[in-house]
Amino acid sequence: MSRRIVGIAGKRLVLSNLEKELYPAYGFTKAAMLEYYESMADYILPHLGNRALTLKRYPDGVEGDFFFEKRCPSYRPEWVKTADIPQGSGERMRVCLVNNAETLAWAANLASLELHVPLNRAVTPETSDSVVFDLDPGSPADIIDCGRVALILRELLADLGLSSYVKTSGKKGLHVYVALNSPDVSFDHTKKFSKAVAIVMQRNYPGLVTARMSKGYRNAKVFINWSQNDSSKTMICIYSLRAAEKPYVSFPLEWKELKRLTGRRDPEKFQVLPAEAVRRVAKYGDLFRDLLSIKQRLPHL
Amino acid sequence: MIKKNSTGKVPPRLSSGKDRETSFQSIWSGTISFSLVAIPVQLVKAVEPGRVSFRMLHGTDFSPLLRRMYCPEEGKIVGQDEIIRGFETAPGRYIVITDEELESVSPQRSRTIEIVRFTDINEIDRVCYNHPYYLVPARGGEKAYSLLSEIMRRTGKAGIARFVLGEREYLVAIKSTGGVLNLITLHYSEEILSDGELAPEADAIDAGEKARIKKTIRKMTTDFAPGKYSDRRRGKIVTFLKKKLKEKAAVEAPEALEEEAVGPADLMAALQESMSRVKKIH
Amino acid sequence: MGGAIWKGYIRFNGTNTAVKLHPAVREEQVRFHLLHKRDHARLHQQMICAYDHKPVPAEAQVRGFEVEEGRYIIVEQSELEDAAQETGRTPENSRAIEVHEFVGVAQIDPIFLERAYFLEPADKGKEYNALAAAMKETDSAGICTWTMRKRTYSGALYPAGRTIRLYTLRYADEIIEAGSLGLDEMALSEKELSIGVELISRLTAPFKPEEFENEHHRKLRDLIEKKSRGEKIALLRPVRLKPTMPDRLLQTLEASLKKVA
Repeated sequence: MSRRIVGIAGKRLVLSNLEKELYPAYGFTKAAMLEYYESMADYILPHLGNRALTLKRYPDGVEGDFFFEKRCPSYRPEWVKTADIPQGSGERMRVCLVNNAETLAWAANLASLELHVPLNRAVTPETSDSVVFDLDPGSPADIIDCGRVALILRELLADLGLSSYVKTSGKKGLHVYVALNSPDVSFDHTKKFSKAVAIVMQRNYPGLVTARMSKGYRNAKVFINWSQNDSSKTMICIYSLRAAEKPYVSFPLEWKELKRLTGRRDPEKFQVLPAEAVRRVAKYGDLFRDLLSIKQRLPHL
Repeated sequence: MIKKNSTGKVPPRLSSGKDRETSFQSIWSGTISFSLVAIPVQLVKAVEPGRVSFRMLHGTDFSPLLRRMYCPEEGKIVGQDEIIRGFETAPGRYIVITDEELESVSPQRSRTIEIVRFTDINEIDRVCYNHPYYLVPARGGEKAYSLLSEIMRRTGKAGIARFVLGEREYLVAIKSTGGVLNLITLHYSEEILSDGELAPEADAIDAGEKARIKKTIRKMTTDFAPGKYSDRRRGKIVTFLKKKLKEKAAVEAPEALEEEAVGPADLMAALQESMSRVKKIH
Repeated sequence: MGGAIWKGYIRFNGTNTAVKLHPAVREEQVRFHLLHKRDHARLHQQMICAYDHKPVPAEAQVRGFEVEEGRYIIVEQSELEDAAQETGRTPENSRAIEVHEFVGVAQIDPIFLERAYFLEPADKGKEYNALAAAMKETDSAGICTWTMRKRTYSGALYPAGRTIRLYTLRYADEIIEAGSLGLDEMALSEKELSIGVELISRLTAPFKPEEFENEHHRKLRDLIEKKSRGEKIALLRPVRLKPTMPDRLLQTLEASLKKVA
């Protein structure tokens, strides 16, 4: 299998297995995957930076075994930055921080198709940067139903004076984020808030929304997974690939675009493939850029 | 490289077996031929075992376990690219065989299923049948595929062929059912045991007994309806799992919203007010 | 013929025929071992934790059923076995191969056949002989169910010469429907079809399994032997045939017919 030695920012990295088809049904090779992450580096790095990375590795491609890796592999190059984060047991675990393009390339080279990050930064594990509403459709509900829920959610949040952002999960759902960026916001706050919102949404749209996790209640409804607002939970990083038959990207949508897509009947149109992702960010920039900086306050907390 | 089977098998859902997804992952692709006609095809699964399968997990934190190969000499797990295939010629002594060498052993056959003869379907003793697959035409092969399927149907014949899949060569029968070609691997004659000594003494058969049984058989004869029988054991296991799920939430789940849990009263009130305004607009 | 693996009795409408089960097939394979490239040490399978990649001993392993991605119900092997128990089974009927109906032998498509057993009479064989003959003369197969070693099976009894064979059958929901493959029927000319039919007749011959040796098996052993003697192995590229294009199908059929004539 072919290899290539590259230099990024003066660091030497050996990229291997370039011809391996990681997405065999679609024909997307490892080289293509590395190229994608390289093209997207400027846009994805701000969202990965200083956060504990969870790798989701598919060494045999999407049709093979996968495994999560939270602990930073001991064989990492010495220039990969790490942090020690506390775990439930009281012990600390060393995690990788993707703070630069070479570390991103290194992670991608490990066939970590998916990059997952938490809502906190490694140095302040108790502080949540934002609130997330993870919209997960229970079959036969689909991403279009998630779109309807997201649009209502946006109105509700706007009425509370909060602006929000939406992205595709790259699979069947949507993620709505509310930026907070305040050092005194804890996961306790964000969890209470998102749970309350979920319950109110369920009460008012019982046929469309559920706030309950148990499988029996999720049939044909969109589940607002408020429990994701937790220091131990991770979300798929924006612009990351997903491991499915096709390499869809977790991609941001403009609200007016979401409205248009929800009005049509084609769930596939929500999804963005790598080439399109690269084109769109080059043209429109990072739609989620402000999520990292704007300051907002949750009501009544 | 040694290919592992994908673990992409869909587990039986705790719902009716009918809504199980089937994935048409191609197991093999190549050409099927008879005389000069060559048809590009893919081999796909025809059966999906219904057995409930479980995953082994780490008891401490419920993370899934993976099967890996471990080297006792170095005391560590080795990756796929460090694994080679060997044949043991004497205890501890191995001859290494590479993938290319393996594939070269039957060069004609690794991408072709050549039908060497046709034969009456009923002539094939059913003890020969091993495992069934479907053949699906690849692009451009649809017409020739249809032809083969139809002429086999009209003549009531099956094709006999050989091909190499993975590390093994198979003798196969190809038959046509409902416009679709089934490929069934066959056991080699040396693998089929003999039942010569099993039959009882060639005594005269009790005519009366035989007649009585025939009468009973006729009374009990009906058409074959495979749907009548379901895997009872599987059914019991599924029921048991459903019950367990009701009693105890699956691990990894956060606390379920069991009680009508409400947030801080003033927050709920404020949210409901906002909600009412939003609904008015729509 | 080795010892029987199980004893039971065929039962229907007052008939009880005691039988012993023998497997009908023994598969042979050239077995390879997996070795470490670097030192040729033989590798063992190990279960490792996906999270930290450390080996996990058997005592620390639990069995889980995945209800949805990443979420499991934990079960003990013993409670699983208890739940799967066949109720109402007394020692007498626990060994019954209960025949529910008979069908024409030709009605059962080979796609349903899973595993084959030879049946040997467990006694003098009077009922066995009569049953075998009756099934043969009526060309019938007996659809039955039985429980063997805690597993329930659905199967079919077939007459074969003077003996009876038992095949386990796959359940209907384990068969992927041919219709779900989404194949369309293509239009074919009568000319193509009649030449095709003629071609098949010319290529028809009786099927004698003994004629087909596991050549690959033999070649593999030759390869191993050659390598152990240090001989060089010529690597041949696998051959790919050119597919017959739809507009050349008729010509190819005609040429084939000429070739076999």
